[in-house]
Amino acid sequence: MMQTQDEPLSLVLMGGSSGSFAIFEEILRLLDQPLSCSVIFVLHRGKSSLAELPQLFRSRTQIPMEEPQHLDTIVNNCIYFAVPDYHLLIGPDKRFYLDGTEKDFFSRPSIDATFISAAQSGINIKAAMLFSGASEDGALGIRTIAEKGFKTYVQDPSIAEVERMPAAAIRDYCQHHILNENIFEEIRQILYSYST
Amino acid sequence: MNRVTLEYQELEFLIIKVREISGFDFSGYARPSLLRRASRYLAKHTMSLNELTVHIEQGGKAVYDFIQELTVNYSEMFRDPEFFIRLRSEVFSYLESYPAVRIWVAGCASGEEAYSLAILLKETGMYNRSLIYATDLSERVLASAREGVFSLGHMRTFSENYLLSDGKNSLSDYYHVAYNQAVMVPDLRKNIVFSLHDLTGDGVFNEFQMVSCRNVMIYFNLEQRQKVFKLLYESLAMFGFLCLGKRETLRYSGFEENFRIINTHLNIYQKIK
Repeated sequence: MMQTQDEPLSLVLMGGSSGSFAIFEEILRLLDQPLSCSVIFVLHRGKSSLAELPQLFRSRTQIPMEEPQHLDTIVNNCIYFAVPDYHLLIGPDKRFYLDGTEKDFFSRPSIDATFISAAQSGINIKAAMLFSGASEDGALGIRTIAEKGFKTYVQDPSIAEVERMPAAAIRDYCQHHILNENIFEEIRQILYSYST
Repeated sequence: MNRVTLEYQELEFLIIKVREISGFDFSGYARPSLLRRASRYLAKHTMSLNELTVHIEQGGKAVYDFIQELTVNYSEMFRDPEFFIRLRSEVFSYLESYPAVRIWVAGCASGEEAYSLAILLKETGMYNRSLIYATDLSERVLASAREGVFSLGHMRTFSENYLLSDGKNSLSDYYHVAYNQAVMVPDLRKNIVFSLHDLTGDGVFNEFQMVSCRNVMIYFNLEQRQKVFKLLYESLAMFGFLCLGKRETLRYSGFEENFRIINTHLNIYQKIK
């Protein structure tokens, strides 16, 4: 059994919009072993969306899933989902902060908000990934993370259900690693690799 | 959108500057949110940190603009329609037996919540024996709240919320349109008192049967949040109700034992000791 609790906090950030729900679901299925990182999903959702993703995805993985509240401590081996109608920010004190400022690209939660706050938190980011979506949210955020020297991955727009989001990210910054053919195999390796 | 330029150290420097110049103290505010707001302020005004510092040092209007931008709370009428349904069935039904009801909307911004509650009180026949105290730390947003003027674009969303909250009429029954804006009817304002109050500095000023403080706690860090909870707790009459935002609970408040849960999903609590 892998030791997960004592290792320093490490984040894997995943952002997506239309066309990403199924990808997120598939990623959860890959998570069959304890994780030495914390996985944070930011999916654009309507403000009145009542679906509780941890409930909805319950059968996909054994790893604990949560919709974090303001000031909750971020821990490894836990999967978090940004709640609708708030931005989910990550603080240097390794806590989540909910934020009610205006929308980015008509979205709250916005992927940029979470990604930028993570980049500025000083917490190690194992990987940041951006998938299918119909807006340009996330491009600035994933670029900010890349420029801090962390690994970033963007879904190949040609295989994305909606190409606008990954295309915008690649246009904004050309050095993101592109996820194509063996996307899930590759993601599994990233998530379970020891390198940070 | 411009590049992000601000770092946490620089934010601390700005907090000190603002305090020196204006006396306004951001030290109890959640840093990640302040950083986001301050960065956006710089981007919006295409300003560098140095320029902002000079700007703040000028004092007067400039520093208050900046404070305003960092504290402004976006709200909606009948935000979270389900909340108003529960309020009617689980809180107002209880308060109905009271000869007089005092409600505090803490952090009222431009008045959306206060007007929503006024409408709900009217529709439950309680308005004439109720008083709503709506407070905010910004004189500017209070001035706008007193006027009760909202854009027609926003009104569309508010109307949808109102219908979803099982409103008895049409929201347009409560405002008239002038110069392409919605103006709330004066009758609705009669029992609302808008006044200045800073949750991080001011104290208890009355005793209430209900306090609505929705989406305000997320402004504060852990220590400040506990202090604000203490203030709200002390402002509530025994068996008074506390309403928090949809994603705000009593977790980390220090007062978990003093309340019972009326509604878990909508975070409605009742003071029991």
